Amino acid sequence: MMKTNWLLGAALSATALTFVASPVAAATKFEFWYGLSGDLSERVQEMCSRFNASQADYEIVCVSQENYENNLQNTIAAFRANKQPTVTQISDGGVVDLMLSGAFVPVRELMEKNGYQIDWSNYFSGISSYFSTSKGELLAMPFNSSTAMFYYNTDALKAVGFEGAPQTWEQVETIARDLKAAGYDCPIAFDPTGTWQWFEQFSAIHNQPIASNGNGYGGLDAVVEFNKGKFVDQLGWFKKMTDEGLMVHKSKAAGETANDAFTAGKCQMSSSSVADHGSFAKQAKEGVHWDVTVLPVWEGTERHNSLVGGAALWTLKGKTEEEYKGAAAFYNFIALPAEAQHWSTITGYIPVTNSGFEAMKAAGFYDAAPYKGRELAIQSLTATPPGEYTRGIRLGNFGAVRQEVAKAMQSVIFDGTDPQKALDDAAARSNEILRKFEQTYKGQQLP
Amino acid sequence: MIERSPFFDALTYAVMIIGLILVVIPFWVVIVAASQSLQEVSRVPISLLPSDQLWVNLSEAWARADLGPKMLNSFIVAIGVTIGKITLAAMSAFAIVFFSFKARMICFWLIFITLMLPLEVRIVPTYAIAANALLPFQVILDTFGISWLVQAVSGIQVSLNWNLLNSYTGLILPLVATATGTFLYRQFFMTIPDELAEASKMDGASAMEFFRDVLIPLSRTNMLALATIMFVGSWNQYLWPLLITTDRANFGTVVMQLKALIPAQNGTPDWNVTMAGALIIMLPPLLVVAFMQRWFVRGLISRDK
Amino acid sequence: MERRAVYRNKVLPWLLIGPQLLLVLVFFYWPTSQALYWAFTLEQPWGGGNLWAGLDNFLYIFRDDRYWGTVLRSGFYALAATGLSMLVALTLASFVDRALKGTKLFQSVFIWPYAIAAPAAGVAFRFIFSPEAGLVGAVNDIWPGIWDPATNGMHALAMVIVCHAWLGIGYNFVFFLAALQMIPRSINEAGAMDGARPFRRMFDLQLPLIAPTAFFLLIMNIISSFTDSFGLIDTMTEGGPIGQTEVMVYKIYVDGFKGLDYSGAAAQSIVLMLLVIGLTFVQFKWVERRVHYN
Repeated sequence: MMKTNWLLGAALSATALTFVASPVAAATKFEFWYGLSGDLSERVQEMCSRFNASQADYEIVCVSQENYENNLQNTIAAFRANKQPTVTQISDGGVVDLMLSGAFVPVRELMEKNGYQIDWSNYFSGISSYFSTSKGELLAMPFNSSTAMFYYNTDALKAVGFEGAPQTWEQVETIARDLKAAGYDCPIAFDPTGTWQWFEQFSAIHNQPIASNGNGYGGLDAVVEFNKGKFVDQLGWFKKMTDEGLMVHKSKAAGETANDAFTAGKCQMSSSSVADHGSFAKQAKEGVHWDVTVLPVWEGTERHNSLVGGAALWTLKGKTEEEYKGAAAFYNFIALPAEAQHWSTITGYIPVTNSGFEAMKAAGFYDAAPYKGRELAIQSLTATPPGEYTRGIRLGNFGAVRQEVAKAMQSVIFDGTDPQKALDDAAARSNEILRKFEQTYKGQQLP
Repeated sequence: MIERSPFFDALTYAVMIIGLILVVIPFWVVIVAASQSLQEVSRVPISLLPSDQLWVNLSEAWARADLGPKMLNSFIVAIGVTIGKITLAAMSAFAIVFFSFKARMICFWLIFITLMLPLEVRIVPTYAIAANALLPFQVILDTFGISWLVQAVSGIQVSLNWNLLNSYTGLILPLVATATGTFLYRQFFMTIPDELAEASKMDGASAMEFFRDVLIPLSRTNMLALATIMFVGSWNQYLWPLLITTDRANFGTVVMQLKALIPAQNGTPDWNVTMAGALIIMLPPLLVVAFMQRWFVRGLISRDK
Repeated sequence: MERRAVYRNKVLPWLLIGPQLLLVLVFFYWPTSQALYWAFTLEQPWGGGNLWAGLDNFLYIFRDDRYWGTVLRSGFYALAATGLSMLVALTLASFVDRALKGTKLFQSVFIWPYAIAAPAAGVAFRFIFSPEAGLVGAVNDIWPGIWDPATNGMHALAMVIVCHAWLGIGYNFVFFLAALQMIPRSINEAGAMDGARPFRRMFDLQLPLIAPTAFFLLIMNIISSFTDSFGLIDTMTEGGPIGQTEVMVYKIYVDGFKGLDYSGAAAQSIVLMLLVIGLTFVQFKWVERRVHYN
């Protein structure tokens, strides 16, 4: 009697415990995780297929994680569980955490070890400085690079008597006023959470420090300085323009993004990445004529180079030699002139090498629509050689710092907070974030 | 109803109709928007009359969010959690209520502390062990020298590694770990008169036979209620699958896809497809609740007696 | 736990309770200890090392007035959503309880919100309340800018609270109705014979008798304001505008998984868990007392 109790009880428990997971072993494939979605994601998938078709030794498996944030988060989760991909696409915000973690294999080391000759000096210095050590050695493979541009509706500008592209913010203000007077509801589409184009790029072009230590390159003890320079006035200017209805709030939360409003012809000027140049061409409504130019400067200011955006490909530690060979082969593949040119044709991303750009220029790529205008991105990136405050931003947990600035901008635009106060608060919180980061990696040096 | 009161009756019906409208409006808007074309759904305000694009939108949503495999994953997870919870909860409640053993109260409290700590509140801790859930056992084995012993004797290295990423067990087990089911069963078992168990004992039946032949049949309503609650609850899980699934194509659940369906940047604001997707995703738990209503209600209420 | 135990097997209860104990150990106690470890140290996102931080993480959040803002907001959210949801559910249940002809239909429909996933409801309500699309946006045509959850934190919060309240109607309705139906007819009849009109009866007789249920629901609703709120906020506002719809659970998610501050998020989680455990004890004492009371 007792026995049946036992057995039944034991059987029940055993049945209940038969959930067992077995980790799956990796094959000779290797994985590449990226943070692009929609059209751009499909372009990546096509590129992966081409790589697989071009050789028989390695098979790349490309997985979209929808956006850069998700990709960073998922890559970290996978890394902690020892299930990371071999190649991952990390954008500017996630770079410093990765750099200090030592969880990656420097790309120069990888390529040299596998016998590939790459001319590292061929990469645009603005691009490579973002992803290199302070001594200039590239750690990640540049892939999709962009910068922020200024888009404008040519018909609307002509209608108020302005020829060509606006070059200064003063001109932008005048045009906006004229547009408003002429009955246009939305002269400029403005998303206050667009810190990349409206804050970071502005600061670089006007050579304003975002943080000390050369925007963080010099060490982890940097403090932010965006509340001390021209950006305070710029934020005040945004507020003035918004109050007068010259800049109109457009964002996902508002129901229509700035880009959508622009391509639908509802708004006449906006700022976005050059990567969107291709999508705009596809999406612009019938009858909407537009063009692109470099971001404006204030009159009398010397223009400096803008910051590179986009992301680079990082090789993660903890994979097998075979997988690394595959990754090296893949990097070599995307660096082939034909492949790189194809990438810059089908997307708005710019060529990452000098020779690549020259070749496309010589072939007349930038002479006519739909590609005309993209060469201005290179112009923006190379206006001056990268300087102390224009070679990039190297701050720990930069994503969180960006959030603070975005909150400050929103607070000024939505709630009418004084710009200096809002930025001072953001600076205080950002510095706390940076100090916490510094403490977490106590004693470590930036590469 | 005790007396005739036409005014009050009218008021009653009025209130109920208003309530009906309040409750049904979101459903109605979803159905209507899902059946409209892009131009119709972009009109502000949208027309409250359904149009004819329902099937088109449903197929588009199905394809865009890749709902087929995701539905399957959601089903597997929901059924896994349901079965797991019902079995474990019945067994544990049975042990706590009907047995006297030394650590009874400790076990009771160990389990019931988790009663009100749903996964969302425990998200960081659960994520912290996702990399290797068996680490405590590994540590125990290492500290007591057992793994060393095993290696010395047989040359086999003991390495317990169980990570929860991208697996059904990773999706299911953290949800089974709370005490809601055990609580429900415990409340029910407490209402079983002692005489029933005594009688069973006198008939010579063992504890497990009592469990199988008397308790389980009696707790049918409870089981159905718990099954409904668990199915709906685990189908609707959002945060945990989001964090634990890096291979969305194969292990994503259906509810995770909702955000992917919201009109994205650089895309057309096609809310009609979004609503169609929402409709598909809402349907299974709704059907379960509507179908199981009678038992579900009875089972939910009895826990309070 | 006062009933006389029936069986005295030594091993069987352990076999029965073993699986759940094991699960609770692996998925609750072990994670909590890991979270405590993270909370008392500085955890690097990519792994690779911890630095002892003592109480620093806790002090950091307690010193942060944005954290307290989130706590207050969570409290407000919990009470507002709970109050709204329970009020609507109670009203509906009271009238359905009169059992007039045809109420069965209404009864089945009122439960439906329970089945809906928070993100699904979030997406639907986001569309309905969108300032430039959907339904409510129409008022902006008459008074431009009067409804703008994209820039106005109070509007955004109100939108989320309404959606949350709607989700809770099904659950609350089921319990209220059952509680009302458990009131013996005799009490109502006695009240009627004493001359009390239906309204009076509702307020003076029925409400006090369902108070225990109401208290139970209060606790359950507050707990649900911690769980469902995530799905709602993530699909409706993502914590914006300017972080004015961030509640405690969402802040933990944002700080930990987007801000890569695992230690801070762990500290916040510990505080949240203690808060919820406190609520559990309150609930348990009350339920146990009710069981004797009955």
